[in-house]
Amino acid sequence: MDVFVLLAALPATPEPQALTLGRLEQALILFGSVIILTASIGITRFPDFYTRLHASTKLVTLGGVSIFVGVALAFAEAAVTQRILLITVFFALTAPISAYMIARSGYLRGLEPHREAGSVDEWGEGLEPPGADH
Amino acid sequence: MWVLDVALGCLLVSALLAVHRTLVGPTWGDRVTAFDFLTVNLAVLVVVMALKTGFSALLDVALLFSILGFLSTVALTRYLLRGRVI
Repeated sequence: MDVFVLLAALPATPEPQALTLGRLEQALILFGSVIILTASIGITRFPDFYTRLHASTKLVTLGGVSIFVGVALAFAEAAVTQRILLITVFFALTAPISAYMIARSGYLRGLEPHREAGSVDEWGEGLEPPGADH
Repeated sequence: MWVLDVALGCLLVSALLAVHRTLVGPTWGDRVTAFDFLTVNLAVLVVVMALKTGFSALLDVALLFSILGFLSTVALTRYLLRGRVI
């Protein structure tokens, strides 16, 4: 059978329509995007690897979850809310894990932190040599 | 809706700053951090695009972006720490 006949038999996809946003959704989306912009400014301006990682991870979790909640409230459909809930839970689970792995591999491979007067490295003493199997 | 335009502008500028840090970054840790940030940023950008166009199938793209970003970060850090992935 011809494919085009099958395609013509399908119902037309509904035209996506513009959604109206309430005040709460606008506030959440604006807050989240400004927070993510702040995180990127932190990535650009901070002095060393560990502080950049700090800025990236924590602010991205806050801003991303805020934007996701705003978008879920704006759509107000059950299927969309389920998918956004899935993305949000995945974010909240994996962002700390990836930050932990980046910081740990950076420290064990010997990336130097930015030091000031009074900086303490508590893990530095008694550390196993890098490359040991963990 | 001007809020969505402002949000897309903020996310675009932050993606460009992350790309700058990925290309410039003095150590490999900076590059991995900025790349991880970039994948998360693109996922959020796709979600806001889904709201702007009203096309909710883009949310699957965002989920895929976040999964691939996490997996690539884990593989990269394990490779850099131990010299092998598995």
